[in-house]
Amino acid sequence: MMDKTININLGGNLFQIDGDAFLILRDYLQAINNRFRNVQGGLETIEDIESRIAEIFQSQKGLAGVISKENVEAMISIIGKPEDFDISLDEEEPPVYTSHKRRLYRNPDDSIISGVCGGIGAYLNTDPVLFRILFVISALIFGTGFFIYLVLWIALPQAYTDNQKKELFGNINYSTRLQGRQSDSPLKSGSSVYNTAYSNKPGANNAFNEIVRAIGKVFYIALRIFLIIFGVLFVITGFLFILSFIMVFVFKYPGAFSTDNFDMSLNYFPDFLNYIVSPAVAPWIIALTSIVVILPMLALIYWGVKMIFWFRARDGVFSLIGLVLWVLCITALALILFNEGISFAETARSSTQKILSNTPDTLYIMTGEKISNLNVDKELSINEEGYSVYINETDKELYIRPYLNINTSDGDETRIEVRKRSSGRSELDALRKTEELSYNYSINGDTILLDEYFKISGERKWAADNVGINLYIPEGTFIKIDNDSGSLFHNRNYRRNRYYSGSERWTSGDRLYLLTKNGLKSINL
Amino acid sequence: MDLENTKAQMRKGILEYCILSVLSRNSCYASDIIKELKEAEVIVVEGTLYPLLTRQKNAGLLSYRWEESQQGPPRKYYELTEDGRKHLEELDKSWQQLVESVNLIRTR
Repeated sequence: MMDKTININLGGNLFQIDGDAFLILRDYLQAINNRFRNVQGGLETIEDIESRIAEIFQSQKGLAGVISKENVEAMISIIGKPEDFDISLDEEEPPVYTSHKRRLYRNPDDSIISGVCGGIGAYLNTDPVLFRILFVISALIFGTGFFIYLVLWIALPQAYTDNQKKELFGNINYSTRLQGRQSDSPLKSGSSVYNTAYSNKPGANNAFNEIVRAIGKVFYIALRIFLIIFGVLFVITGFLFILSFIMVFVFKYPGAFSTDNFDMSLNYFPDFLNYIVSPAVAPWIIALTSIVVILPMLALIYWGVKMIFWFRARDGVFSLIGLVLWVLCITALALILFNEGISFAETARSSTQKILSNTPDTLYIMTGEKISNLNVDKELSINEEGYSVYINETDKELYIRPYLNINTSDGDETRIEVRKRSSGRSELDALRKTEELSYNYSINGDTILLDEYFKISGERKWAADNVGINLYIPEGTFIKIDNDSGSLFHNRNYRRNRYYSGSERWTSGDRLYLLTKNGLKSINL
Repeated sequence: MDLENTKAQMRKGILEYCILSVLSRNSCYASDIIKELKEAEVIVVEGTLYPLLTRQKNAGLLSYRWEESQQGPPRKYYELTEDGRKHLEELDKSWQQLVESVNLIRTR
């Protein structure tokens, strides 16, 4: 009757065993399990004994032969029944039952490079080829796959022991996987060796227990799904950030950062840095900023991967080193920025005025020197109000648009005021810096020629400089503004004016205005 | 008085000492230890050894590492730790003491 053979896995080896021999073996393993499962370190003992049984079977039959009843009995006489063991064991608290937990390991039995894909495949009960393909494809996308693979290779331990393999495959999967295709064995499946040997819940059939366990499992699965979703989000966020950062700072491509609200062209920021801080510290600032930004993103990616695959890793030391490095970098960066920031501590203004000799009915505001005629390498727009810095790398000159204000004059005179503003370590320093701003305009009859930019030259660093042109014009004067001068017209006062809504952009062509009590009134030409 | 039981009790007492002694000469696999202990007729069945090894390992007296074997999965390769050596020295002394005591009583 018991002439069928069953495939079982013992101590990592696959054996064929006769049906009746299997029953004896099962009872024997059950007895060993009963004896040791509540002893401290008992699971390890059970494993050791299983490995020894496998060794004995192997020496009896080799890997190919079928284990007979006699073989099993001979094995039992060598190892002995648990009651024959000459030991007194202190019965202790049952050890934490761990074998149902799933953990990700590298799978040495199914590896091409390091067993990472084999491990993932085993863990998710899927063909590893799928993950191999995924890794190769994703490696083509900025090397993402390559990077993840490397992290996993370093972080994942290899599954050495039988117990680790059980954690990797899951108990049932592991034994059924090794069991082969034979499913109509007398005891349903060979996995019952593990099912009986590793189940230490005698009252498991109790319906209440079943329900509680089912609910627990649902929660556990929900938690895992939750963690996987968060892990994926973490990984994606981390990668996007690093990618954006690299694009902006290395490839100077603003794409990832530019939105409608945030159009400061960060792409030239690293170059502009040389004009804000002393050139010696600029590379340091960039390097430290890179570390300060990228390090947490790497950690985020790592945590994400860890959450997705739910693995344990000895990463404490790395985390600590990373954290210390990060704190050091951020401290150094803060010190440098503080030191550099001091030169922006105080601001000062200086202004010069000129009164026009005649008071024209129509005042023409024209553009003198134009930015478009300049030799400009880079443009960095600092804010939405149109404050842009134009950089001439060869002459080390910066050009910035001044802003133009048109105000109603108290008296009958037409007046032009140029206000310069700079920042410095002290007020005196700031005041001195305002003198280094050169802005040119000229008055020619009833025409005012305004340069479109003011200049900072001689390798002088940027000090939040600004120049404002205030025109004081008597009420009732017509004002004709040409296109380029009109673009200087970006000050808030002007926008607040009801005749000109802020959303209205300066369109090309000259404009005619009448200065009224309430400000400028647009007159259609 | 059960003779077998008394014998077993005596063996139990010295078994841990014997394991440490075997390992003090050279580190080896569990099966090597078994072989020596069986030859010396200190153990009857092999199963006795495994729980003791686990217990001694957990007590820090010995450690093991995985060694690849030609056939089958890696095997545990046991060796004595520093603590194990000290422990063994103490046991050596007390064994000497015991033998002297027993001899003294027997030859009186």
